[in-house]
Amino acid sequence: MELLGYVLSGLVTGAIFALLAAGLTLSYSATGVFNFAHGAIGFLVALVFFELTAGAGWPVWLAGPVAAGVLAPLLGYALHRLMFRGLARSGETAQIVATIGLTIALPALGLWTVDVLVETFGADLPKVTEGAAARGLGPRPVHTWHPLSGVTLDSDQVTTFVLAVLAAAALWALLRHTPLGLRMRATVDGRDLACLRGVDADAASAQAWMLSAALAGLAGVLAVPALGLDANAFTVLLFASATAAVFGRLRSIPVSFAAGLALGVVQNLVAGYADFAEKVTGFRTAVPAILLFGGLLVLGRARGRAAGSIAEDAPPPDHLAGLPRWRRALPWGVALAALLAWTCTRGPDDYWAGLVAQGLVLALVFCSFVVVTGLGGMVNLAQATFAALAALAAGLAFSKGLPFPLALLIGVLAAVAAGVLVALPALRLGGRVLALATLALALLADQVLFQIDAFSNGTVGWKLPAFSLGFADTTDARVRIVLLLALIGLVALLVRNLERSASGRAVLAVRSAPAAAQAAGISATRAKITLFALASGIAGLGGVLYATFNGQITATDLPALTGFVWLAVVVLQGVRRIGGAVLGGLVMALFPEVLGYVTDSQYVGMILFGLGGMVLARHPDGVLAQFAGLRHHLQHRRRRARPEPIAPAAEAGEGVLRLEGVVAGYGDATVLRGVDLAVPAGTVVALLGANGAGKSTACAVAAGVLRPAAGRVLLDGADVTALPPHRRARDGLYLAPEGRGVFPALTVEENLTLWLPSAADRAQVYRRLPRLAERRAVAAGALSGGEQQILALAPALVRPPRVLIADEPSLGLAPRVVAQVFELFGELRDRGVALLVVEEKASEVLALADTVAFMSLGRITWSGARAEVDQDTLTSAYLGLADKGADRRSRPLATGGAGGHPPANDRSGDR
Amino acid sequence: MTTSTPFRVLALGLTAALAASCATGKGAAGGGSAGVTASSIKVGGVLTVTSPTGYSTGGAELGAKARFARANAEGGVHGRRIDFVGAEDDGMSPDKGAAAARKLVQKEKVFALLPVSAPQFGGAEFLEQQKVPWFGWATGPFWCGKATAFGFNGCLAPKPGQQTQTWWGNQVAAQLGGGKGKTAWIQATDSTASKYGLTTIGRSFTAAGFTLAGTSAALPAQAPPQDWSPYVNKIMKSAGGKAPDVLVSVMAGGKFNSGLYAALKQAGFTGLITDATSYDPKAVADPQARKALDGVYAAPQFEPYESDLPEIAQMKTDLQKVGASLDQHAATGYWSADVFLKMLEKTGKDLTRDSFLKAADAFSYENKGFGRISYPAAKTASNGCGALVRLQNGGFTVAQHLKCFDNTTL
Repeated sequence: MELLGYVLSGLVTGAIFALLAAGLTLSYSATGVFNFAHGAIGFLVALVFFELTAGAGWPVWLAGPVAAGVLAPLLGYALHRLMFRGLARSGETAQIVATIGLTIALPALGLWTVDVLVETFGADLPKVTEGAAARGLGPRPVHTWHPLSGVTLDSDQVTTFVLAVLAAAALWALLRHTPLGLRMRATVDGRDLACLRGVDADAASAQAWMLSAALAGLAGVLAVPALGLDANAFTVLLFASATAAVFGRLRSIPVSFAAGLALGVVQNLVAGYADFAEKVTGFRTAVPAILLFGGLLVLGRARGRAAGSIAEDAPPPDHLAGLPRWRRALPWGVALAALLAWTCTRGPDDYWAGLVAQGLVLALVFCSFVVVTGLGGMVNLAQATFAALAALAAGLAFSKGLPFPLALLIGVLAAVAAGVLVALPALRLGGRVLALATLALALLADQVLFQIDAFSNGTVGWKLPAFSLGFADTTDARVRIVLLLALIGLVALLVRNLERSASGRAVLAVRSAPAAAQAAGISATRAKITLFALASGIAGLGGVLYATFNGQITATDLPALTGFVWLAVVVLQGVRRIGGAVLGGLVMALFPEVLGYVTDSQYVGMILFGLGGMVLARHPDGVLAQFAGLRHHLQHRRRRARPEPIAPAAEAGEGVLRLEGVVAGYGDATVLRGVDLAVPAGTVVALLGANGAGKSTACAVAAGVLRPAAGRVLLDGADVTALPPHRRARDGLYLAPEGRGVFPALTVEENLTLWLPSAADRAQVYRRLPRLAERRAVAAGALSGGEQQILALAPALVRPPRVLIADEPSLGLAPRVVAQVFELFGELRDRGVALLVVEEKASEVLALADTVAFMSLGRITWSGARAEVDQDTLTSAYLGLADKGADRRSRPLATGGAGGHPPANDRSGDR
Repeated sequence: MTTSTPFRVLALGLTAALAASCATGKGAAGGGSAGVTASSIKVGGVLTVTSPTGYSTGGAELGAKARFARANAEGGVHGRRIDFVGAEDDGMSPDKGAAAARKLVQKEKVFALLPVSAPQFGGAEFLEQQKVPWFGWATGPFWCGKATAFGFNGCLAPKPGQQTQTWWGNQVAAQLGGGKGKTAWIQATDSTASKYGLTTIGRSFTAAGFTLAGTSAALPAQAPPQDWSPYVNKIMKSAGGKAPDVLVSVMAGGKFNSGLYAALKQAGFTGLITDATSYDPKAVADPQARKALDGVYAAPQFEPYESDLPEIAQMKTDLQKVGASLDQHAATGYWSADVFLKMLEKTGKDLTRDSFLKAADAFSYENKGFGRISYPAAKTASNGCGALVRLQNGGFTVAQHLKCFDNTTL
């Protein structure tokens, strides 16, 4: 009976986890950003709800919907516009840091606003102090029921559970049964493909953020009567919910929801029955963290990025590469000399010198981020824990009577050992999953390891007195500064050597292409362990010195959340270089002091910190890289003062789709070097060429997936170069990309619905293709390759586009299916569609094509009517010999049509 | 790479030379008269004004200010007025507390830190190193055994073998007409700090004759649970299958206490509930919390505001003059300042930190407002005094006046 009671009431607790987990999963799967600020959004909405009810006296039935249903989505939209949109394609580090910034800034923003309203504008609002208990959506006074003996339920719990389940059901219905939901799921499944089918992925992301913020807001308002307006409690709640989301693999909303409910039950059962846990302080608190870590280890392997959000942490271009070494080092040298000179003018007890020393200790710790994140590309949220661990271990050793140098060494070794332990799961995980795993470990250390009296000496902690360097001791701030500068210099040398050594290159190789590095025989395992060990050693050294300069270390001095803030500060300055770490440390120590001259509010600093995240959305490589970039752009502009002559546009010609002088590529690599191509209505143009010739790139430019560096794309004579793919799709351009142009996770029916919203149209498809009709409820990913290709092209049959581009439609298909596909093309041509069919192998498509174009090394090397194509032209085109003597014949296509040979139904016309 | 080696050697050499030359400068005067002039003594404090949980000791600032205002109006101490620069906010984070202490000592150049009331104060070791005296409401163990730390209430976290308080248990026993044959349950949260309270408070109640029905530190430390039933069920069966006579909460934070009490009452608990933090007008501002806290006995370490003693009437007048609200933090700030003034008086005209700490070496003072204090005994033990206040219908009544009891061995 008691058990049943625990399960029942555990479900209620779980409902909040479940709601938060559903929101997390939604935003992650729709945008690829794991939102650490999800709980903070909940807090902010709960705060607004509290001020509306307790302050402005609004009734709950009005304040609830306004806060969670209007305000929260608006907040979600604002965050999408200001941050997440920019973050979707930036590196994982920037994403994690930006949302961490929000975690701190959003509650501060809310609390600060309340302060300002009350103090400056004299608004009659309650301030958030202890006891200002916020109510939830449930009725007041609270009703209590005893459905079973020993089981107590109150109206708040019932309200919470019912609303959470309703919200989850509504979310499920929205995603499954509305066009909006279909568009969102399509975006999740294949962002680029969704754009090609006319879905505005950006709008879908915005909608996902609004929805997810509304869920967070609802969870916040529901949780607030139990939690109170405590921003930290909301963050803790989010960590628990992240556990549930991980069990849903960050993909499945129903599984996440169920896992959230189960988590609530497990917590209750542990609280009710796991009496053995009483002996281990912190064990019960740590249940979600333990499950999170376990879940990541078990499920982490199957991680997959959200489609379309491939967020590589590619290093930024080194704008200073052209400068001689002394010139690069000059600003740092000058700054160092100035700092040392200034230090000499200060007294040993000087306040400012003490602050600088404090900043440099932090800088030393921050250097560890340069190693593990800057070099290794791994996000570690447990760095503060390593520092605390080292300091506590050193303090313990010192208190046992060991000499300080030995205690220091023990501390550093303890951190290194912990680093290796963390590196072990890191071997299997990557990216966000690793970040979450380090988060779980940091929480575990805080909640369990540091609670062991023998290790942390209870709440008193250990004393670590100043030590002597022979000629002076570290009570003198100036000595601390010089000592730390020397240590940071050594770490900088270490990092340099690491970058240039064989093992350093191995590390970089593993980072930029793990698979390739493995193929080349480079051990990812050793590289990752080395980095983690080194970084935690540095963090440990910094931690011991931090404690020594403070005189003590206690278990609460460096909580896990500190590690978040640290990472964010370093990344904001630039995590790839030691300079960023030094700047970060100094900013961390000096900024509050400087801010103190402007405002007394604790909150302003936090808000500014969060704004840093928005800066990061634009400049993911931090302040330092931005400076270098600025310098580069200024000089570049000077050099480019004379405008480059613009290539004359090709003469206008006919064709529904036309590319004119298109130059395009990826990053520094130019693939297309001036492509002219026209596809007239009712014509099949076959684009042939060897692998790597640029055919798919040409398709991408035509569809708008890739923006050309020069040249124009015309659709029906209108310049669409600047239009995004979904707009071109709506104007009638249909691209069936290489591979299969279907959404594997959507059913056949849903795949069709994206292009054919009307059921009658879909019925027509099923009449034509009964095989698809049989399998309409099957996920498209489960179809055979041929069926997928047919499915990809089928919608075009019923609603013919103006232009159909098929990239390698025959790839990997049986000849019988290829024939069927080309038959479809023929039918479309007869109905007036302009077709561009790209193939590597010429044989089948030649039978269909009216016009043939050869592509080689980014140019159309030959084009003409199919009739003129013979074995020799083919051979020479593939061998790249076609340039010679083919020039004359390549003109007609580029300027309008099919050369001497008019196409079958003569729609193209000559000039 | 090879070319840079001489540069590096040069740089390291330069650094070493600079370090040596820098460090030869002589240390500042230190030890003594910082913050003291012929006519004034500069003082500032560190409080947890804001915190993520909303817990705030900010009221102590006005408490100290009120006491200093009266002292200054009476002509100061030995001709010196108190120049009170106010309190810094540590946001309940140790590093901010340490930074605030450094700022007050090195930048503001205060003579002493007062009031200090921060559950996670991080500046203790720094102040000890710098020999700067600091006064306030001693709660955490960092107050104990330090030459420079002076809690007006002594030290609440003695080590095993040292003396620990019995006043809380005794006062509750007095309220119930004796502790013999009665059972008490002590509830903490799942953290070392809270667990520690189980030992000392448990000892206080057993010393007063209670039998412990049990203790628990099972509640998750970081956020109150959404569902209290597993915890409440344990309590309700702890005294041989029945509910205990007394529930003692050593938890801070309104949500923990009001949540637990509401759940207990729902489950039919009728015994006495007591805690250390609910004597706070803000705690009962909300109707739901008021209902949960109704009937609870809060245990402040000073004579309650509701008392009619002349010392309390004086304190209320002083506090109202500076516009302070009558909460428990205002009182702790007020009595910390009172002890400080007494010690200044004892030190005499020749005031340095050395002479002040020397005077503190054998210091004894009694006041009906907070009881008594004598150093160095109170460096390792509680002053042994406390009161009980009953919360009823959103108001407070004195249940047991402040009384001092003998400590017992932990």
